[in-house]
Amino acid sequence: MWEHDLQINFRKRGSIPVASLFRESVFAELGLKIIAGFQGIRREVLTADVNRPGLALTGYLEYFANDRIQVLGNTEIHYLERLSPSEIENRLQYMFSFEIPAFLLSRSLVPPQIFLDICNRHGVPVLQSNLTTDQVISKVILFLAEKFAPETTIHGTVVDCYGIGVVIVGESGIGKSETALELVERGHRLVVDDVVRLRKGIEDVVIAESDPQLEHYMHIRGIGVVDVLSVYGAGRIRRRKQVGLIIELVEKMEDYHIIIDIWPEKEILNVKVPYLKVPVGPGRNLAVIVEAAALKCRMRELGIDIDQKFSERSKHATTYYQNL
Amino acid sequence: MNNNRTEKIIKVVNSLGVHARPAAMIVRAMQKYDAHVYLIYNGNRRNAKSVLQILSLGAPKDSEILAIAEGKDAHSALQELEDIFESGFGEE
Repeated sequence: MWEHDLQINFRKRGSIPVASLFRESVFAELGLKIIAGFQGIRREVLTADVNRPGLALTGYLEYFANDRIQVLGNTEIHYLERLSPSEIENRLQYMFSFEIPAFLLSRSLVPPQIFLDICNRHGVPVLQSNLTTDQVISKVILFLAEKFAPETTIHGTVVDCYGIGVVIVGESGIGKSETALELVERGHRLVVDDVVRLRKGIEDVVIAESDPQLEHYMHIRGIGVVDVLSVYGAGRIRRRKQVGLIIELVEKMEDYHIIIDIWPEKEILNVKVPYLKVPVGPGRNLAVIVEAAALKCRMRELGIDIDQKFSERSKHATTYYQNL
Repeated sequence: MNNNRTEKIIKVVNSLGVHARPAAMIVRAMQKYDAHVYLIYNGNRRNAKSVLQILSLGAPKDSEILAIAEGKDAHSALQELEDIFESGFGEE
């Protein structure tokens, strides 16, 4: 079922409006202001990258990366200040024959008045940040990469267990939340219960995040909502976590692994993630099993493969006795 | 499981939208059916038997939700779901 969710809820944004910069934490990080072209705030950014339009301002518009946010730093502004108002107007008219999402000025730079006037007339937003150009570029690219990343939502629970982000999936009522609650009780950290947002990170990793409405809340059958933050404290929650392991709880003992010589994997958002199927049965303490699985995963990350070691040892033993 | 599949567009009529109390009502009503029931809003598909999942839809007044039920009692499940929404969850 959860794999079905992966496909059904999959989405990848083709564009984001400039206005979204003002809605998220990047707004405060950049110290963002809008100084002209307010009416263009819904213009769309189409690429998760920025452009320094130095050459475009000189009038060279071949290969002009117009679909990106145009970052203006000291160089561009000093260059503009040397131009006459009519020259600036000409160059901008040229540039505006392309759709531009927005200009973004670093170091609280202020362009010549004529620049603002023309942007106002064409409805091209002019934004201003108090950070240096390098900082502006890296923060904006990071923000855009996150926004443009493919994402999906699944039904499950995520716990940070010994530093491994464990996604617990399985049918409704099988005991995902209860297992997570016990893990929290044992000192691990809850990421999200029930509605798990998965997003592809900048490198080949999957990040699990909470739905903002449900952050640090759990739902346990019979007792209702549990607020992990206020009951267990800030040390028992986290907002996001890279996924390191998927554990599917299943009712029937079917094709579970006897020895994990090759770690099974599942593909999430084109990233391969270790995957284990754990049968649920009476008397099984699932929290301990999840802990053991997370530790095994961790050992593997450290380059120690327990199953392989074990089978090496058994091979050694069998051949040893044979040669006696 | 797919022997019976129904879908309906359901409108939220109460002024507070689908908040915690209505979500609990929906879960209580849907739990007694064997059918899988899903609510789709804003491109997000959520299980109608989970409070947190319903809440994460964040459906306000006047929003339209596509409800899908699969299973042998799918039809009656959706009928009851529709009635609950239409009654405005007993709210204004």
